[in-house]
Amino acid sequence: MSAPILAARGVSKGFFGNPVLRSVSIELMPGRVHALLGENGAGKSTLINLLSGALRPDSGTIEIDGQAVGHHSPSEARRAGIAVVQQELSLTSSLSIAENIGLGAYPRRHGLVDYGALAARAGAACDLVGLHEPLATPVGDLSLGRRQMVEIAKALYRKPRVLILDEPTSSLSATETRILTGLLERLRAEGVAILYISHRLEEVMRLCQHVTVLKDGTCTADRSLEGVNAAGLVRLMVGRDPGDLFPHWTSTRTADTAIAISGFSAGAMQDVALDIKAGEVLGIGGLVGQGQEDLLLGLYGAIPAKVASATVNGAPGLPANVPDANRRGLAYVPADRKREGLHLIHPIITNLMLPAFARMPALKLRSRSAERETAMRLATQFAIKGDLGRAAQALSGGNQQKVALAKWMPHDPSVLLLNDPTRGVDVETKREIYNMLSGFAASGKAVILLSSDTPELVHLCDRVAVVREGKIATVLDHGELSEEAIVAAAMGAEREREAA
Amino acid sequence: MSISDAGILSRSRIRTIVTSRPFLTFAIVALVWIVASFVSRGFGAYGHLRYLVELAAVIGIVAAGQTFVVIAGGIDLSVAAIVTVAAVGLPLFAIDADPTGLTPILAVLAMTTVIGLVNGLGVALLRVHPMIMTLAMATFLQGLLIIIAGGSAVTASNPLVSWVGNARPFGVPAGILVWVVVSVVVLVVMHATPFGARLFAMGAGPLAAKLSGVPIATTTMAVYGISGFMAGLAGIIVLGMNGQGYVGIGDPYLLASIAAVVLGGTSILGGLGTYAGSIPGAILLVTITALITVVNASPGWRSILFGTLILVLLLLSGREAARR
Repeated sequence: MSAPILAARGVSKGFFGNPVLRSVSIELMPGRVHALLGENGAGKSTLINLLSGALRPDSGTIEIDGQAVGHHSPSEARRAGIAVVQQELSLTSSLSIAENIGLGAYPRRHGLVDYGALAARAGAACDLVGLHEPLATPVGDLSLGRRQMVEIAKALYRKPRVLILDEPTSSLSATETRILTGLLERLRAEGVAILYISHRLEEVMRLCQHVTVLKDGTCTADRSLEGVNAAGLVRLMVGRDPGDLFPHWTSTRTADTAIAISGFSAGAMQDVALDIKAGEVLGIGGLVGQGQEDLLLGLYGAIPAKVASATVNGAPGLPANVPDANRRGLAYVPADRKREGLHLIHPIITNLMLPAFARMPALKLRSRSAERETAMRLATQFAIKGDLGRAAQALSGGNQQKVALAKWMPHDPSVLLLNDPTRGVDVETKREIYNMLSGFAASGKAVILLSSDTPELVHLCDRVAVVREGKIATVLDHGELSEEAIVAAAMGAEREREAA
Repeated sequence: MSISDAGILSRSRIRTIVTSRPFLTFAIVALVWIVASFVSRGFGAYGHLRYLVELAAVIGIVAAGQTFVVIAGGIDLSVAAIVTVAAVGLPLFAIDADPTGLTPILAVLAMTTVIGLVNGLGVALLRVHPMIMTLAMATFLQGLLIIIAGGSAVTASNPLVSWVGNARPFGVPAGILVWVVVSVVVLVVMHATPFGARLFAMGAGPLAAKLSGVPIATTTMAVYGISGFMAGLAGIIVLGMNGQGYVGIGDPYLLASIAAVVLGGTSILGGLGTYAGSIPGAILLVTITALITVVNASPGWRSILFGTLILVLLLLSGREAARR
């Protein structure tokens, strides 16, 4: 067998003393599609970043064509023919398709950009991925799926020897996925080494020849896909029964209404009716970006919302703004904790006290000792590790999330709005957060849990409202809950069309 | 807590203070003063140093407002124009019925505070970028001044204003006393009240602050209002020290206020810093200016030297640390 083009040997990487990868090895062979599997937070993105030179390993080596590279950097990786299609798109929305594809590698003539040559080469790359929009279209005008295709064309433009794709199909339609599959087959035949990350197992089974499985930062499998079935892959990824992760479910739902809305519109959400009881965990599911976040933000008074009728904790009307929402017993924990949940450059204690600062009289003298006492109590209660005087950026993702949640507790909110609280959080913290959620509900709080993690919705919620295109498509009771039922409801429109 | 714990705590606290930016800036000031008094006769005389601090008081008071704005994540480019408005506008409010001269001062402070609030209104509610909003305000005020005052200087005949500019109760210039009072109040508001904590949160991340319930609009208006008030107060002291107000009297205080804030270690990106740094920052700026005056150079070269020295000092005292 031929030698690997790109390989990592025994690489480890940690952030702020929190190990993310522990001695992981991977070999990318020419003419092979290599699958990289693992749960969220297993270390897949970190491994990609090491391979592409965006990060440097703490120990271990990266090898290109069998040679260890001392200072692997993104520019060196590009020179070596390594192209990455990131999960988070790296396109500039004001530039055209052609400009985005060629960005950083424009053909030149007499020192000026040769737009003719650029159009020709970018056009060729677009043809490969079946992108037929005019090349001058600004990328901002394209749908998410088409942008993903531009991103892939951008990688192909550089004629890569190694192509790394991070969940390329998550925003693609069935047709686009088919085009991509055909394209990857062709590239493989041409001898390109491909690393393919996806959560869709049937895709992986169809497309890939070899698999590496990561679990909590270590490699649990590195083998040929021959003779492996999907159930076997799941076992390798999860390494346990998902039931262990979740607390035993018992309903603590009461008859008291916490929030009732009808004719609610905010952002992408149109004309929604919903009621949530005290002691209930209401899940919000659906494909990413159907307006779920706008529902939470609208309830929280953070974005403008209209409503036909609303009752929030017994009082009529929606909160006018965030301070009003806090006064009325609502608390919100955002998904993007680095930008929306915490102030990373500030000490942990300041982050924990911020909602209190926001509500206290503006010019009342602060009591440092009382603040310290409150913060210590929260840190103990939530098992937040680390010196409270240190900046929050020193904390691991899981601990940061606990701070974002804990800071609301002194106000004893009666409604918790949680936006993907376990995104990018390690398994242990996930379990702790799940236990907290059932605890909240048991103490009579209403919990609205927006989640992109379907098992979470199935195991934690009294009911799940599935959102599709800005509307609540279905509300499933706990008895009807299954991952299949939620996904089916989320995709409902396509199903009906196929059935017709 | 055991006694040995307390010992470790206080030692680490001493280290924090010694390595803090305010302390380092004070140390640089002291160093420059000591060296300069050996090199140049008369520099180290008590009277001269007192004079430097008196000049620094004006910069320091403007910088107090600027520090609030910068920590909250904004910038106020209209402070120089507001200083001038206060200095030139005060005689317009003179009322014969009030022999103390307090009424015009209060009227001017109210006016400059309202100007600041308008800045805040534009930034918070109309979502104009702070640079654009305050720069536009400065231009607007300059135009207004030319129409009202024309080219002529105005003379203050206000007893309280002259007192602030010239009196020396207990041997200390009144301007310095005002600065001391302002400093104490500012430090308390900044570091010991929830209002202060909200500023730091807004500067470090406005979105996270908003979602944590910080009232963004009112807090933004408050900081620009404070900045307007401080610039007005500085304008009154400048008028008292000069005896005359003229268009352009406030011009030096724009760069000076921002430089004092940054020299004192406050992040120009917001969210980190303290007025305790801006205080020595202001004194350092005045000291540099005095040193340059000692060097017998033409005004053009002095300006070039001043700009260069500020850059060098900023490079020496540590640039903005990279943020993740």
